Amino acid sequence: MSFSKAFSPALREIRILCSQTGAASAGTRQFITSKYPAIKQHNPDLPVLIREASGTPARVFARFEMGVEKHVELDNLSAKDVESKVVTLLGS
Amino acid sequence: MLRIVASASRPSSVSLLSVAHRRNLSSTSARQADITLTVDGKEVTVPQGSALIQACEAAGSPIPRFCYHDRLAIAGNCRMCLVEVARSPKPVASCAAPAMPGAVVFTNTPLVHEAREGVMEFLLSNHPLDCPICDQGGECDLQDQSIRYGSDRTRFHEIAGKRAVSNKDLGPIVKTSMNRCIQCTRCVRFANEVAGVEDLGTTGRGNDLQIGMYVEKMMDSELSGNVIDLCPVGALTSKPYAMQARPWELKTTESVDVLDALGSNIRVDSRGVQVMRVQPRTNDNVNEEWISDKTRYAYDGLRFQRLTTPLIKGPDNRFVTASWPDALAAIAAGLNQTGAKGNEIKAIAGHLADTETLVVLKDLINRLGSDNLASDLEGKYGNAPPVHGIDVRSNYSFNSTIAGVESADAILLVGTNPRHEAAVLNSRIRKSWLHTDLVVGMVGTRADTTYGFEHLGEDAKALEKFLSGKVKGEFAERWAQAKRPLIMVGSSMAEHADGEAVFGMLARYVAATGERIVREDWNGFNVLQRVASRPALYETGFVPSRAATSTTPKFIFLLNADEVDPASIPADAFVVYQGHHGDRGAALADVCLPGCAYTEKSSTWVNTEGRSQLGRAAVPPPGAAREDWKIVRALSEVLGVDLPYEDLVGVRDRMWAISPSLVRWDGLEGTSLEVAKAGLGSLMSNFYQTDVVSRASVTMAQCTRAFVTREKTSLEGLGKEPLQAHA
Ligand code: SF4
Ligand code: FES
Repeated sequence: MSFSKAFSPALREIRILCSQTGAASAGTRQFITSKYPAIKQHNPDLPVLIREASGTPARVFARFEMGVEKHVELDNLSAKDVESKVVTLLGS
Repeated sequence: MLRIVASASRPSSVSLLSVAHRRNLSSTSARQADITLTVDGKEVTVPQGSALIQACEAAGSPIPRFCYHDRLAIAGNCRMCLVEVARSPKPVASCAAPAMPGAVVFTNTPLVHEAREGVMEFLLSNHPLDCPICDQGGECDLQDQSIRYGSDRTRFHEIAGKRAVSNKDLGPIVKTSMNRCIQCTRCVRFANEVAGVEDLGTTGRGNDLQIGMYVEKMMDSELSGNVIDLCPVGALTSKPYAMQARPWELKTTESVDVLDALGSNIRVDSRGVQVMRVQPRTNDNVNEEWISDKTRYAYDGLRFQRLTTPLIKGPDNRFVTASWPDALAAIAAGLNQTGAKGNEIKAIAGHLADTETLVVLKDLINRLGSDNLASDLEGKYGNAPPVHGIDVRSNYSFNSTIAGVESADAILLVGTNPRHEAAVLNSRIRKSWLHTDLVVGMVGTRADTTYGFEHLGEDAKALEKFLSGKVKGEFAERWAQAKRPLIMVGSSMAEHADGEAVFGMLARYVAATGERIVREDWNGFNVLQRVASRPALYETGFVPSRAATSTTPKFIFLLNADEVDPASIPADAFVVYQGHHGDRGAALADVCLPGCAYTEKSSTWVNTEGRSQLGRAAVPPPGAAREDWKIVRALSEVLGVDLPYEDLVGVRDRMWAISPSLVRWDGLEGTSLEVAKAGLGSLMSNFYQTDVVSRASVTMAQCTRAFVTREKTSLEGLGKEPLQAHA
């Protein structure tokens, strides 16, 4: 799965939590800047909530059908690792 | 530059930026170096330009006062604040004298006492002896200070009797008893400086000085209730609260207001199970010390038309009271019987829904397999995802912050009248307009703000014209040079046919101006929300999916939704209403569940800036009403849905997992620059339909469908249904 096509319709919402400035979230922020436009382009109706709060551990949540939520921790990961983690999360 | 109140009358019907190039002694000067002086033998350091009274406060020597108020201009006319300053021949009015470096001040000498006693004697000589029937009793500055400085016998032997002043009619809120007035002029200064009511003033002089509106007229201001708090005596008291309670009988609870989206800090005073009054609480970041009259006086509505027990609609269309288990079972049966599946299960959140309940309800609806989380936005707009999107907080928040408004040097209002949508914020704009050379421009319906503005036009076309630089005029000129330009878009733009165009236009404009409007230290793109629950709705992702928009619901859960259009509810749908008042929403329901009003529950509210604040329960809910999130949680059990929390701590943990800022009460979490830009980028992305003309164009509508939403359009469609394309 990649970010250049639409995700499975079972995916209902993505939530990315990170810190605005914290070093541990640097990779996640980079991921947002580089991949968010592509994700939106291919999934214009999918909510991708970016919720920042200072010092919060970087995490991404995915909500699937029937309210099933899964998440992975992204703290201290590079943008590339974040990407692969997100891909596995969304594919699962 | 400073606009002197008297000469800078607000031009309400003419568009002009009246500017009086005059300065006045009380203008706030930029903060300068600190100075040191001695007060009662104690050294204090205060910023240069402070009043002596502030230095005394800082040294821990309280100074009695009537006319001085730190948020109003200095009048210096009551003389209660006299202090002794070394090498000064007479006592000095500490509020009107600047703190001087090296000054030696005494606040507690026989001379000072004698001077204050003299002032008090004069004040009391004409003050009526009606404390037992005066509403200010117990919280009256004059009463309190006369205990220390008042004399126990009178030397007043005037044959004509005490001064008598006729009462004024200031409207349904402010009760006057002008015999009690001590002419401190706080009310006059408030009305002129803060509220913008320039016809409250003084007439006569000396003993005949009177406060009033010059002619028989009401005090027409949405902030008028604040003069009641300001009046140090019982001359201005509250009409609705008249003779209701004494301050010592009241229990006070610190809470947050929910009647607009500012989240003004309030103190709820209650006696037993009743809210007796609402007073402001100081919070410099939000409401300073003021609240609007709606915040202050809507509380009597909490006593009437309340839902106190669960109700089930019987076969004859009449509500029958029911027990909680029966009502919840009836909902489960209703859900079964309609056979609603997936998006046919719909929740609509209203204006007064609290964050905890929104989170629990969203989880419940999601777990039932639905994404149909609508809100009661005007018209049909609540049934679709909002045009500004909810991905990035800065797309729907007031990013410059409420206090930051004061640092803006040019404000562009788009489709908003802050005077009605956020009255206290409007007073900040007025304050800044009076004290700095702020310019304001407005696109939208012309309104009576309390400051001068240039009206740029009514509609999206006018906005486009302005943004493209085709408008000439003082505002356009100043806007182009502004260092901290601020755009304020009304939340009603999200409920307007041109909303998408307007947001797109502004986003492209912001991007085109580079660092001017959105940069590291300034985010001048603001959405002014006007409904308390909306920032929390967007923050928690309580919005319908695109697929849900077109589904016909069979089961509808109205959470405090009283503004829904009854026509939008299908006749055969099963409707549940949860809320505190029997209003429009309850009338539509098959089952009503009684919840708590904002003074009865401890819940989180998010204001338009994205600041989350905790409201606290002041009184118990009436009858069988229960806390809202608990009701939804109980319902989930009856519906056989498993929610992973059982107590408030659990719900708040869940809120933390949704957005950590929700549980960082009182703090404000900004949006980082990259993310804010990404958010603006998503507003622009709908390139094909971002202005009025192309939005009306059928071809562009087809382009949007094809390229943006990736829907398949047949070529035939282009020609065949031209009218439906943008119906
Ligand atoms: S009415 Fe009250 S606030 Fe106004 S001048 Fe008189 S004492 Fe002061
Ligand atoms: S408080 Fe100083 S003169 Fe009134």
